[in-house]
Amino acid sequence: MAVTGHRPGGQSSDLQAKAIQYGLALVTVLVVLGPILPILYQSVIDRPIYATGQELTTANYRAILSAPAFGGVVWNSLTFSFWSTVISQGLGAVLALLIGRTNLPLARMFGSVTLWPLFISGLVFAFGWFVAYGPSGFVTLWIRATFGVVPWNLYSISGMSVISGISSIPITVVFCLGAMALSDSSLEDAARTCGAGPWRVVTRITLPMLMPAVAYSGILNFLGALESLSIPLIIGKPVGIEMFMTFIYTEGIERPQPNYGVVGAATVMLLAIIAVLILLQERIVGNTRRFQTVSGKATAARIFDLGPWRWPAFALVSAYVLLGVGVPLGMVLLRAFVSFLSPLVPLANLLTLANFSEALANPANIRSLTNTLVLAIGGGFLATVAYSLVALVVHRSTFRWRGPLKYVALMPRAVPGVIAGLGVFYAMLTVPGLSALNGTIWIIGLAYLSRYLPTGFGVLSPALAQIGTDLDRAARVMGATWWQATTGIILHLLRPAMLGAYALIFVAFLKEYSTAVFLFGPGTEVLGTSMLRYWVNGDIGPMAALSAVQIGLTVFFIALAQGVFGVRLVK
Amino acid sequence: MAELVIDHLVKRFGAFTALKDFSLHVRDGEFVSFLGPSGCGKSTTLAAIAGLDRPSEGSIRIGARTFYDGTKGIFLPPEARGCGLVFQSYALWPHMTVAKNLSFPLKLRRVPKAEQGRRIAQALDLVEMGPYADRFPHELSGGQQQRVALARTLVYNPEILLLDEPLSNLDAKLRDRARIWLAELRDKLRMTTIYVTHDQVEALSLSDRIVVMNKGEIAQIGTPQEIYENPTDAFVADFIGTTNFLTGVAAGSGGRMHLQFPDGQTLGLPAGARAVPGQPATLALRPNQLLTGDGPGTALKARVTGQAYVGGRWQVSLDIGGNPVRLEVEDRLEGDTLTIRVPDGAGAVFRASADTLAPVTAGAA
Repeated sequence: MAVTGHRPGGQSSDLQAKAIQYGLALVTVLVVLGPILPILYQSVIDRPIYATGQELTTANYRAILSAPAFGGVVWNSLTFSFWSTVISQGLGAVLALLIGRTNLPLARMFGSVTLWPLFISGLVFAFGWFVAYGPSGFVTLWIRATFGVVPWNLYSISGMSVISGISSIPITVVFCLGAMALSDSSLEDAARTCGAGPWRVVTRITLPMLMPAVAYSGILNFLGALESLSIPLIIGKPVGIEMFMTFIYTEGIERPQPNYGVVGAATVMLLAIIAVLILLQERIVGNTRRFQTVSGKATAARIFDLGPWRWPAFALVSAYVLLGVGVPLGMVLLRAFVSFLSPLVPLANLLTLANFSEALANPANIRSLTNTLVLAIGGGFLATVAYSLVALVVHRSTFRWRGPLKYVALMPRAVPGVIAGLGVFYAMLTVPGLSALNGTIWIIGLAYLSRYLPTGFGVLSPALAQIGTDLDRAARVMGATWWQATTGIILHLLRPAMLGAYALIFVAFLKEYSTAVFLFGPGTEVLGTSMLRYWVNGDIGPMAALSAVQIGLTVFFIALAQGVFGVRLVK
Repeated sequence: MAELVIDHLVKRFGAFTALKDFSLHVRDGEFVSFLGPSGCGKSTTLAAIAGLDRPSEGSIRIGARTFYDGTKGIFLPPEARGCGLVFQSYALWPHMTVAKNLSFPLKLRRVPKAEQGRRIAQALDLVEMGPYADRFPHELSGGQQQRVALARTLVYNPEILLLDEPLSNLDAKLRDRARIWLAELRDKLRMTTIYVTHDQVEALSLSDRIVVMNKGEIAQIGTPQEIYENPTDAFVADFIGTTNFLTGVAAGSGGRMHLQFPDGQTLGLPAGARAVPGQPATLALRPNQLLTGDGPGTALKARVTGQAYVGGRWQVSLDIGGNPVRLEVEDRLEGDTLTIRVPDGAGAVFRASADTLAPVTAGAA
């Protein structure tokens, strides 16, 4: 046999690996810190970031702290987020228990239906509640016509908290179901054999074991409420309830002359609050859980018999699904096909396709539709590949800085979409090369890439952990360089997980709008910003039509992913 | 193929030293086993040779090529070393067929297509897996996967073969067959081989030399016979084979010394035993050195503390002068005492008391 034992050039292959790893890490740091640093800088200078003659100042912070309205903004944001979290965690934990651990009728179906709001844009969801339960909403008018009085007021902090809480329930359910799947039901059996009844077991064993999941998802949901733009904008703003996000939106976009310094300072303060919450979250659960999205073996935990409470529980879960999710989304779809929506006028008289023809006759909307699809299909694909490479360097290399790189990759979860967009916008104004992207959808794509890095990284990391390290070590010993081993072996084995991550990122890009509000311009609209424009102008019909288009696209692509590619979006 | 020289190798993980001053010279074509309980540093050493882990100090070279040199700052990445490593998990790539698995290292070496096919067939025939070239790893049994893993390593003619507990994932029967087969293959190839195992039978039956390791250090290096018959310390004696230990106080002087047990019995020690009069000493005895029935040697009175049927035979727990001893006999014993006969000059003597062995014995299971 010809001897071909070892390959020459060992040190150079090492250099190649280092070059790739340092390059990827550098790009990641730029993409993540790129949006944050300009905001920090903007908050301490006396004029817009693009203007000349800047001087350092604390005037922005002083201005914002002395503004009488700002205290109210902070207070509104925190109470709204607090009550939203109380609702989502309370209802979510009960729902998860009923779905995962009891003989609730149709539990499996509820298990998937409960998660639908995850795939719906916050804008569409808030709009749905407005159409159904707003002051002149369909359900509101029907109740008033029937009973003469309406027992709720959606245009209030509590009304907004209910919408936000209900839209956050899926997160709680996903985390609780995940924790239950991993928990050891022999702990419950032990309590049963000690003489505890089912109710005592649930309250003393099962629920306490769920608390870490409830607390962890609770902080996620609190952050989600704090950074949501849609509900404060659609419900709160018309009646003058200002919150952090609407404040930043108003001062930074709606004013004829945006107040750059104040926007920067408000943003930095919001980022500080979020950073504190995330540190708190890590204290609660520790570092290990951070990568654990939902996974685990489907061990058959013992099912509690609800007995006579079976049907009341069914009614409760059905009420959530129908009234909380079904009616608002149904009303959006219905509104898209009528000229006017009222329980007082027969629907048949109002049916029309005019909303769609009006929306689709506008070339800007056709552009926003194609832009959204290009971003979701092409941008989502590129993002998935990029996230995979980052995960490979962090988990499958001897890269010196892979520990810090992991933290950098998770950092964008502290940056709300609006702010990520704002940061990229500032970066574009200051970094010379970036202005080339101005006026293209790729500047929006860059902001999306940064914002969803933690999501993609979080989905890919556990999948990567399941691929044994011996597989790439074997390739290395046989003569493959780091790059050949990771791309030739590991990336192939990661394909199913990458497909799942792609589907998730795709849906996220499809419904994303808040990241784009500071970045879009003529020609670079996305679906969400077009909807927002109709909303601001009060054109409810075309807005409903675009919402229906977005829901339709989402349903179509999720069905495609699940049916054709066998991807499960939520495990 | 070439000789392997490891010089003063040290590996630290933070404050913990996993490998302390490891030096070894493996001759060209020699088959050397690293034997020891888990955590003894044998896999750490193997990973250092393959380049999967960077050692802290020392040097490793094969022939004239330096793989690692701590003082000169040389560290060749694994792909530049040309080692062949068979993993305990086999590490067959699940998305490739057997033939594709074997062609991967050949493609990296830009071996022409026709030559690749010839060498893959040759390597598979060598491990008797020729008909399975188009199967996927999950379609093979554990023993077949292990052979494919070996073929994948042999196909590119590595300079040195590294085997990391290759038989440990097989069930007991299959392991015996695979061991015999591996011995035949060893004779056919005569490659420089490092074989990592915690199984003394594998090490004894396959190796030219054995390196017994304990807590990151070399306990003894020698041929299988040397190690079995002349263990240098109680750990080696205990780890290699079933051993009973009798501890007492050394007495006598010059050529003839004996052990004094608390109950007054005495037992002569082999000539030249390294024992100090008046100090505790331990005699390690193999099962074939503890006999029942009449014959030459020293008779010792033993108290029977328990008996258990182990299928065809009885395992008897005895107490000889305060030392627990286990023995297998043909028939169930009547009565609660038994006379044990130790042939003259049998056993190996250590100065340590048997108590210090307790944790080691537990780890060796």
